[in-house]
Order: sequence, then C-alpha cells, then structure tokens
Amino acid sequence: MSYAIEVEQLTKSYENKAALRGIGFKVEAGSCFGLLGPNGAGKSTTMKILSGLLEPDQGKARIFGNDLGTAANEARKQVGYVPQSITLYEKLSAVDNLVFFGEMYGVKGKELKRRIDEVLEQVGLADRAKDAVEKFSGGMKRRVNIAAALLHRPKLIIMDEPTVGIDPQSRNHIFEMIRSLQQSGVTVLYSTHYMEEVESMCDSLAIVDNGQVIAGGSLGEVLDRFGTQAVYLELQDGKAPPALAGYGKAEAKDDGWVLETATPLDALADWAEACKERSLKVKRLEMVRPSLEHVFLTLTGTTLRDN
Amino acid sequence: MIFSIATKEWKLLLKEKGTFFWLLLMPVMFIVLFGTVLGQLGSTPQTLTYIDMDRSSASEALLASLEAKGGYKLEAKDAGTLDDELSRIREGKLSSLLVIPKGFDGALAEGGNSQASVELYSDAASDTVAGLRSTLENVASDYREQRIDDALKSAGANEESRKQALQSPLRIEDKPQNSTEGNTVTQVVPGYTVMFVFFVMISMIRRFVNDKTTGMTARLRTTRMSPLNYLLGMWLAYLGVALVQCAVLLAFGHFAYDVQLGDLTAIAILVFMLALCGTGIGLALSMVVRGENQGMAFVQLITMGGAVLGGLWFPLEYMPKAMQTVSRFIPQYWAQKAFQDIMVRGDHLVGILPSLAVLAAFAVACVAIALLRFRGFMKSAMS
Repeated sequence: MSYAIEVEQLTKSYENKAALRGIGFKVEAGSCFGLLGPNGAGKSTTMKILSGLLEPDQGKARIFGNDLGTAANEARKQVGYVPQSITLYEKLSAVDNLVFFGEMYGVKGKELKRRIDEVLEQVGLADRAKDAVEKFSGGMKRRVNIAAALLHRPKLIIMDEPTVGIDPQSRNHIFEMIRSLQQSGVTVLYSTHYMEEVESMCDSLAIVDNGQVIAGGSLGEVLDRFGTQAVYLELQDGKAPPALAGYGKAEAKDDGWVLETATPLDALADWAEACKERSLKVKRLEMVRPSLEHVFLTLTGTTLRDN
Repeated sequence: MIFSIATKEWKLLLKEKGTFFWLLLMPVMFIVLFGTVLGQLGSTPQTLTYIDMDRSSASEALLASLEAKGGYKLEAKDAGTLDDELSRIREGKLSSLLVIPKGFDGALAEGGNSQASVELYSDAASDTVAGLRSTLENVASDYREQRIDDALKSAGANEESRKQALQSPLRIEDKPQNSTEGNTVTQVVPGYTVMFVFFVMISMIRRFVNDKTTGMTARLRTTRMSPLNYLLGMWLAYLGVALVQCAVLLAFGHFAYDVQLGDLTAIAILVFMLALCGTGIGLALSMVVRGENQGMAFVQLITMGGAVLGGLWFPLEYMPKAMQTVSRFIPQYWAQKAFQDIMVRGDHLVGILPSLAVLAAFAVACVAIALLRFRGFMKSAMS
C-alpha cells in the first residue's frame, strides 16, 4: 500500500500555546481523507505544515515519500493547496488569476491555456472566464480558488474547509469535482467541521481535537468503534414512548425519541410490541445509524457546532 | 516567474482607478497649477493703490515713475475714501496705500533743505510692501540725483563733468554661466516629477500588506515561487511604473511648457536611478511597517518632508543654512540637482555622476534593509 501522506507525532506551538500535540495519521494514495474537528482543533495548522507553509516544532511529515524537512521542494511540486480564505486577485478576471497561478506552479504557454480551459470546465465557470472575480458569488469565488490549485495536475490536493459559507449549487459542484479528482487517482485531504461532508465523500478520516487525533480510520471503523447503535420511535400526537424493561432511558430527539442500545433489533421488536399493547399509533420506528456527531460528542463531550 | 509577478501587478494597477489619478493625473495637475501660477508671478503687475491729494504735474510724474520702475498697475482712490482705505488695511484687505499730500509739488520745487513727503500706509503683516518701499526709495534716489545735478549746474559745471560726478563708482558686470535660463517651470517640472515618483511607495506598501493579510503571500509560498522571486517581481513591477511616470511627466513638461530636457541619455539614466531609489525605499518600508496606516504615515513624511528639504518646491537658497545642510542627506535633493544640472546647466552624464552615486547608494541601502527584513515578513505572512 502506498501512502500519499504520512504524519508522525507532529507538534507545533504558537507563543507557548500548543496547536498540535503529537498528531499522526496516514493517507492512502488515491483516497479522500477527512480531517474533522471544531475550530481551533489543529486542522489548518496540520494542513499548513503539509503545504510547506509552516515547520513543525517536532515530528515528521512525508508527501509521497518526500520528507518535508529535507525535500520540501519536491513535495511542493506534487501538492495543490486550497486555503480556507479566498485568495484571489478580485480585480482580475478568472482567467487572469489562473494564468498567474499557473505560472507560479510552473505551467506555461499552450499547456497553461489548455489547463485553464479544462479546470474552468471542471469547476463549471467556463462561461465566466473573462469576468472579474469581484463580480462572482461567494460560491463561484471558491470554485476559482480551487481551480487555481489544479492547474499543475497535482497528485495531492489539500483543501482547507472549501465549502464554508457557499450556496448549495457551488457546494455540489465542489463535491462533484472532488469525486472526479478521486476517480482520476488524485489524493484529497479535506478538512471540515461539517460531518455530513465527511460522511458523504471521505474514505477515511481523523477526528482532531485540541491538537490530537482522538479517533481515526475508515468511516465504518470509526462509527463501529465509537458510535452507539440506537432505535428511533416517533408517535402520533407527540406522546411519550412506553418504557422498556432492561433498556436505558429514551432521550427526546427532533419529534421523537432515541433509545441507545447494544441490541437494537431486540429493542425495535420490544418497542413495537409495547406500542401495539397500548394501542399507540406509530409514525416512525427505525434503527438509527451511528453518526459522526454522536461519535464526536462521545469522544469529547461537546458537539461539533457548539465549538 | 519574476516577470509573471510583475505582469500581474501591472494588470492590477491598470484595473485600479486610483492609479491613474495618484501617479499621473495628480502630478500633471500640480505641474500645471504651480507652473502656471508661479510662472506668472513676476509678469503679473502688482496693484498700487494711491490717493493723490496734490493733483499736480509733480505728483503725476512721481506716479509715472513708480509705474515704470516697479511695473505697478495704478489704482486711484478719492481723497474722501482715506478712512475707508485705512480700515481695509487694518482688516488685511489691502496691503498698502500711497498718499501724496497737498503741497507735494510746492515742497519739491522749493529746493534747498526742504523735503517733499509722501505717506505710505501699509499692512505690517504683508510681504508685498517691501517691494513698493524699495521702488519708492529708488525713485527718491532719482530725485536726489536730480537735485545734485541741478546744484552742480547752478555752480557752473558743464554737462560732461556733471555726468562724471553723478556716475556710480560701482559697475555691475552681468556674466550668466548657463546656456539655458532657469525659471519657475524648470523648477516645477523636475521637482514634481521627483516628488511623485516617491508616491509609488503607497501602492507598493498597500500591495505587500494586502497580500500578507489576505493570505496571498502564504498561498504563493505553496507554489514553486521562491520568496526572492516574489520580492524581485514586485520590485520590477513598481520600477516599471516609476519609469513610465517619469517619462510621461517630463514629456508633458517638454511639450506643454517647452522645457528643454537637455542630454536625453543623461536624463534616461537619471530617471532609472531615481526610480530604483524610490522603489528601493518603498521595498524597505513594505518589509518594515506593521500595517498600511503606519506605512502611509512614513510615506507622507518621506514624500512631503523630502519635497521641502530636497528643494523640489522652491530653490534651496531660500532656506536656512542648517536646512540646506540637512538636504544633502535627502535623495530628492540629489535627484532635483541632477535634473537642474542637465536641463539648466547643460551637464552630461559625467557631470551628474555624484548625484547618481548618491541615488544608487540609497537604493542599495534600502534594498539591503528589505532583504534583511524579508525573512521576518515571510514568517509573519505564513502564520
């Protein structure tokens, strides 16, 4: 198995405040890896180290086998970095921005022109190529922001929260683009604090909090290891559910109730029987898949959005 | 890659409306305004307000003499308005009033030890009265010479001997050394060209600070662009701007005001060194200042202070000796001096070598500061 990214025991402090405390993970080549965590967890710092912007205080990081400490330039050639903030020259057109960034990545002449046409198609902005970026919506700007990192055909794309504050259409475009990149063998490192994005796109993930990885692996592994199975019951007229002997207490959620249990199938059957005995009208009764939000809450004691 | 960065900057500057105004339109406006106003200072006649209470041929002759010698435009007022005119002087609305009292003609004709007087009422706060007083004294001197001549004639001296007696023992031989006559426009055109070259520092600081705060510098660092390429590319961009600016302003001065530029090769090299110096200082400031506001404060100090101390607005000879010494440490002084040397004194490249050397020294020193501070700048941009 080859790894696009190998991170070992990275530590980084800013003015005596620890941002990273021995973070470590591996990303398989060609996969989409999610870095999930609240603001201030250390995601951006990790990405900046992997992009060559920062040097760690301790630890090692390798990009396709190139040690960032000794072969940073080699590593940099294979990486396309999409920062969290939109860093474009807004007075210039999309094309002018891409010409500039392409040249900074070492792409020139006809190849650059060809690549610009391709990435503009890829991000769905071919018809707005000559418009000034300042006239674009936030989502369109983010798409150009991503396009600028693709011109040199990088093998690894590092995207730092690329969907913050954008419209659904642009978000879908970005998701489509990431899937397309994956299919062409590009590795994607994706940081976000939106669980549903990781759940829908990432093959594996690391949950980061307070500068450490508190859980990592494939999505299924993380959910199985840390997630709790449950049964969801919603009754008509919003009535309370019948208590079940041998199970814990059901917690209110949305319009119904959730009962966490290690034997969800049995709980589902018992609850159905209890409702039938009491002639309660059931609107919904189902097994609930563990969620990353619940995993995070279990691991840290806080919700992702509270942070 | 350096040229790509410079090209990007030029594209940005062309899109920004303020660029044309600050770097080209405003200096042209300054040249037109000050060149026109100050250029006509000597040729516009000053008004001499007077009240002639005597209304004699003698008083008329006095007034005609003042008009001829001082180039004054005479404005007569009635005797009855004396109090009003004095009030105007006290209010600062009138700088001076000459009153020729009744009996002037008689006192003048009396001869002997008698003196005819005129009254000069003036605003002590006004600078223009000194010229009028000087002209009056000149006219009084003519009257004295005439009296002496009359006395000699009465004593029986012939015309030749009277002429010899009245001849001043002092003769002034005027020997101008320069081929081109200097005037207000030969001060203003190069002066404002030099001053506004340093305004390019505003654009430089804004761009470097903006790139840093928006994360652009950091993003570019993740590409193949080396930090040194970034610095050189940005410098090249603004060097180009300064060169174009100088070319436009000097060409404007030449075609609009017929300013003779002299040795064009020397002018071209001087313009290049001036641009290197101005943008070198801009580069150093961009690396040193903590934010745009701080940068703007420094720019104002360097451009405005440098303009005054460098003799860009008025000849240095008008300034105290101590300030003239300080000006030797100002790059604007050397740039203006070199322009004047070429345009007015007909110098060529060899003649302006000392000025070029000073400008080059400023450029080298500032670029060295920029390189020393560059690492810190990049570090703060990355975090």
